[in-house]
Amino acid sequence: MTEMPAAKAQSMARPRWDIFCAVVDNFGDIGVCWRLAQQLAAEQNREVRLWVDHLESFSQLCPNISPAAEQQQCGLIDVRDWPRHSPDAFPDAEVADVVIEAFGCELPARYLASMAQREVTPIWINLEYLSAERWVEDCHLLMSPAPRSRLSRHFFFPGFTAKTGGVLQERDLNRSRQAFTRAEATQFLTRIGISTPNPDGLLISLFCYENPALPPLLECWADGTVPVTVLVTPGFPSTQVSNWFQHELMLGQPLQRGKLTVCGLPFLSQPDYDRLLWSCDLNFVRGEDSFVRAQWARKPFVWQIYPQSENTHLVKLDAFLGQFLRDFPQSAAVERCWQAWNGVGEISLAWQDFREIQNSLQEHTEVWACQLDRTGNLADNLVRFVRGKS
Amino acid sequence: MTTVGGCGFSIFDRQDGKCVMSVKIASNLQSGNVIMIENEPVVVIKAQINKSGRNQAVVKVKTKNLLTNRVSELIFKSDEKLEGVMMERKECTYSYFSTPNHVFVDSDFNEYEIDAESIADLEKYITPDMKEVCEVTFYEGRSISVVLPKTIIREVEYTEPVARGDTSGKITKTAVLKDTKHELQVSAFVEIGDKIEIDTETGEFKRRCT
Repeated sequence: MTEMPAAKAQSMARPRWDIFCAVVDNFGDIGVCWRLAQQLAAEQNREVRLWVDHLESFSQLCPNISPAAEQQQCGLIDVRDWPRHSPDAFPDAEVADVVIEAFGCELPARYLASMAQREVTPIWINLEYLSAERWVEDCHLLMSPAPRSRLSRHFFFPGFTAKTGGVLQERDLNRSRQAFTRAEATQFLTRIGISTPNPDGLLISLFCYENPALPPLLECWADGTVPVTVLVTPGFPSTQVSNWFQHELMLGQPLQRGKLTVCGLPFLSQPDYDRLLWSCDLNFVRGEDSFVRAQWARKPFVWQIYPQSENTHLVKLDAFLGQFLRDFPQSAAVERCWQAWNGVGEISLAWQDFREIQNSLQEHTEVWACQLDRTGNLADNLVRFVRGKS
Repeated sequence: MTTVGGCGFSIFDRQDGKCVMSVKIASNLQSGNVIMIENEPVVVIKAQINKSGRNQAVVKVKTKNLLTNRVSELIFKSDEKLEGVMMERKECTYSYFSTPNHVFVDSDFNEYEIDAESIADLEKYITPDMKEVCEVTFYEGRSISVVLPKTIIREVEYTEPVARGDTSGKITKTAVLKDTKHELQVSAFVEIGDKIEIDTETGEFKRRCT
């Protein structure tokens, strides 16, 4: 009998994880799943398969992805096309040891049936959206038995306290950010087509959903006394800025009005988006992934939460503000600005107050990031939970 | 005794002794419902819906296993279809508390004890002199829970006075109920001593009774 090669033996010992991601809209869901997949593979030595129902969106975030390929290797990750809307087309696939259903996407029926037939049923986790609300702590890791089945899933809630799953953070992220010098920031901005901004001015990155508060804020910046350079991401922000200028914002062709200069950005990879956040004085972010990255960037930021009907998102916004600003004496100015940016109040008034406390907010974001760091990162917490169940 | 349904039930074609199986949507779960979890009946002690932002609504449920008495906390997506058990129920009225049970009595003066822990979420409405007709729920002949009427009337023991002006009912304040000391939000015009109608399923103030 021949001895098993060491590499194969090691591979067989690696726990296999499947992550299912349904792209609802934009890039938030796949952004989080892609980060998680990479962390699990690179830092936790997991064998990760990522099932994505819309490879077209994924390919914008990760240009190495071919939208037409049913199966492809991207770095350490085995990426699979998930024919979510054609259940019969789901391929026969061996069930993994751990199955993550991201953001409540329903698993394919065929795959679920295979899970139930497995001798040892896999550990099945529903990874939820990030929230700072208190009820999340009470629901984190609770079990949800599937009716008429041997299967049970656990709900895993990301969050900002030790009683939640934490947020994603690569192990070397902080080191990379600290090593990122001013000179490297200039080089980076040049590489993405941004000429050196005015050193006496304010450098802002803008990533948002369609936002009625943006035009009045652009007015504010244009009519202000401080030069403001806004780096505008493609999509809604670029369209809204173009409409405000009545001139299409093009890469390499900044537009200017009063004290305001706007520059269009190309679609950035995740690592480059981090560099953008680190390079700016203030970051406008949205949804979940960029919101978390802005916190790790340790720069003042303004969050636009994913808007929901009946304003249910405002509860979630206030919950985060409550945690984030708990020990910040000038919290009212931040609250007013964030709320106005999310449709409650007038942004132009709120902006003036926000500007006045921006320096102290800078210090507070550092304190907050240290505090967040202590809750442990989501990938580590997931692996720890799975170990406890195995 | 009759076998009756409740909000969210639909008949399922399987019978299990005296219990009729049904489909129960998680968002309709309430205290006293019995569902099958891993092929064992559990009674819902408390059900709480959480929904905000982009998160799907989830229902956190505290249950007690009717075979082992083990108390567990579970979670379900709000639209999850669960296997409900339609229980035998009997109309009763509240009689008295005898540690650790609440005792209900039927029209023939038969007494039925229900463990207080199993109906902890309803205790905020249970008063010694309550007259409302309730439905005691039975599992294999054993009384396990009670279903209160959809609405009940209770007296306000304390609430802060509110400055005159707004009588629209849109502004709310906290009120404390007599006997149970339960706190809930009521319209600003409610005063101490008022009788108010409360929805027992949602826990919400409905109206002031004249």
